[in-house]
Amino acid sequence: MAAAAPAGQGPRWEVFKQDAAGKPHQAVGSVHAADPEHALLMARSVHARRPAAVSLWVAPADAVFAVTAEELEAAGPWAVEDGGPNRRFLAFRKTSHRRAMTFVDHVGEVEAPGPRAAVAAAMVAFPEPPALTWWVVPADDVVASPEEEAGAWFDPARDKTYKQQSAYGLLAPGKRKRVEDG
Amino acid sequence: MSGSGDLDPTLREALIARLTAMADDELILGHRDSEWTGHAPLLEEDIALANIAQDEIGHALLWLEARTALDGSDPDELAFFREAGAYRNVRMVELPKGDWAFTLLRQFLFDAFETELLARLARSSHVPLAEAAAKAAKEEVFHLRHSGLWLERLARGTEESRRRLLAALEQLWPYLPQLWQPLPGDAALAEAGVVPDPAELEEAARGRIMAALARAGVEPPAEAVPNPGGRERHGEALVTLLIDMQSVARADPGVEAW
Amino acid sequence: MSRPAPSLDERERLEAFEARIARGEKIEPGDWMPEAYRKQLVRMIGQHAHSEVVGMLPEGFWITRAPSLRRKLILIAKVQDEAGHGQYLYHAAETLGAGRDELIDALLAGRAKYSSVFNYPTLTWADVGMIGWLVDGAAIRNQLMLAQCSYGPYSRAMVRICAEETFHHKQGKEMVMTYARGSAHQRAMAQDALDRWWWPSLMMLGPHDSDSPNTPQLVRWGIKTKTNDEVRQEFLDEHAPELMEAGLGLPDPALRFDEASGHWAHGPIHWDEFWNVVKGNGPLNAERLAARRQAHEDGAWVREAMAAYATRERETA
Repeated sequence: MAAAAPAGQGPRWEVFKQDAAGKPHQAVGSVHAADPEHALLMARSVHARRPAAVSLWVAPADAVFAVTAEELEAAGPWAVEDGGPNRRFLAFRKTSHRRAMTFVDHVGEVEAPGPRAAVAAAMVAFPEPPALTWWVVPADDVVASPEEEAGAWFDPARDKTYKQQSAYGLLAPGKRKRVEDG
Repeated sequence: MSGSGDLDPTLREALIARLTAMADDELILGHRDSEWTGHAPLLEEDIALANIAQDEIGHALLWLEARTALDGSDPDELAFFREAGAYRNVRMVELPKGDWAFTLLRQFLFDAFETELLARLARSSHVPLAEAAAKAAKEEVFHLRHSGLWLERLARGTEESRRRLLAALEQLWPYLPQLWQPLPGDAALAEAGVVPDPAELEEAARGRIMAALARAGVEPPAEAVPNPGGRERHGEALVTLLIDMQSVARADPGVEAW
Repeated sequence: MSRPAPSLDERERLEAFEARIARGEKIEPGDWMPEAYRKQLVRMIGQHAHSEVVGMLPEGFWITRAPSLRRKLILIAKVQDEAGHGQYLYHAAETLGAGRDELIDALLAGRAKYSSVFNYPTLTWADVGMIGWLVDGAAIRNQLMLAQCSYGPYSRAMVRICAEETFHHKQGKEMVMTYARGSAHQRAMAQDALDRWWWPSLMMLGPHDSDSPNTPQLVRWGIKTKTNDEVRQEFLDEHAPELMEAGLGLPDPALRFDEASGHWAHGPIHWDEFWNVVKGNGPLNAERLAARRQAHEDGAWVREAMAAYATRERETA
């Protein structure tokens, strides 16, 4: 990890949010935090202020290996790591240019001796639809929000209706409309 | 199990006093937390503390709305048109926000106490109170994790962070017992199962706080400290806070809505 | 000074890059991009991020004074969102190689620009509502346009910000409409706020197209899809009639509705003031930056403690 100034913003952590059971974890952005536990708490504060969420993962940004379809094409024959024991990697990919709030989606796991090999394995394991961007992260580097506390972490956001635009209804200046009291 | 109509006048008055005290604690603490918005050490923590502030003010509303069900009072009227002398928060929450160590340690002490209080209130014989407590207890889980995290990091961070933490602890310790000091009406409420037994609550809260300090490698200050007195006693800090907090509302007291 | 002509390889790459954008593809971190594209985006995204963070201060000032418990909650949530928006935007800038430490240093040293509109003071509680209705109203127009941006991380940040900003706009509108038909004091406060925030809001959408040299290239690279004047027209057409319907007067004697075009027309903008504020001489430029600098310096020991704890944990693991 690159040495950071002691009073600096600290290392970056990529954040993945699962909206509901059965849906994949999706990359929603990052947080700056000094350690994994702090990163999780900050991820919840920054990225789960509003519904819906049931789980969060964080991983050090340095641990994420990213490659785009364009980079793969430009690289030619893809050199992979060989030798060394297989490690578990979580694979994420983006498959559409459609405008969205989230980036890559979790698609599954592969075993490989290194990140380049993990990308190659992911392309074989999950060929359709073709990925525009691949991310692979060593499973050991991913820290998850505590499942048994999911209710405490994620339910309270639902009650804060005063920060949902739907709580304001239709505001027509001409009419003497009684606005809802939140 | 009782609803709002079941309490005899004495218990009703006692419960109104207890709800007001709890609401005032939450509102003043939430207000102090909100002073950090735009000024926190890290952008992410600015966002985190702003959430905690919203939770606390939300809890104040929960307790005040439970009081409304008993006496028809208006939460905004109570918040914005009572003088400092009529507020019933503990002294600890009205103290100025200080540095990050002071704010987070104060938050931790409050969160530790609240965790024990809310767990017991969720079993109250008074249903509306139990329901409100269960809701607040959920949010408290995250608060305790967050302030507990900071207790650890300040205690085991740098010499400076430890020094500031210990200074905050010295400053806050005398105010701590007031958190579990029962109100005059609490004995009757406890007997009716509306609020927990004060002695048992105190033991649980102390235990939790001592254990956390020990884990962080922090010695609690020596006991035997002056009693800050009842909740009707306040310092000038609360006067300044309320002058600020109430200024816009008081400038136009008769308005229909803000 | 003229730049050396791009090599054949670079020209091919540029053509392919522009073709991707024309096809509606998103450029993602790792994809080839012209250095000028990267630089423009770092500048734009950085400025946008700084604006959000500095923008917390004018409204943050009123959090402790909010006159009802509900308004208190709403305002804390709104200012919290602004921190969040700054956070998403710094993230987007970081994907282009600009670290958050260096971005913040540039802001605090006075080297980075941010939206001039936040250098105006919030003098009354009603300013909070007016900022929500007008400033956020203008921001939403801009952000809806930027959500179509060709650069993936910026587009994604914009989509998310747009979703959250609508609440800001609505709560502001609700506040001002309430005061416009409230007590005499509330009505006067709302009108006074409009008198002071109307022109800064119009100006925040940027200089006239004739004074915006960057725009054509930004359009070709899918960074901007509408010009400043186009967005300003949208803002005017939406807000002028609604403010008047709410019973407020606009501080523009030349404002009129043009039947032929179906659009509202505004009077001349005083650009001298705009450029003065942009250059750093606005009423509160110095104060805003000083407040951010103070927060940053006060927080140094906390960040050091965080780093020291993390290092020790890693070493003893």
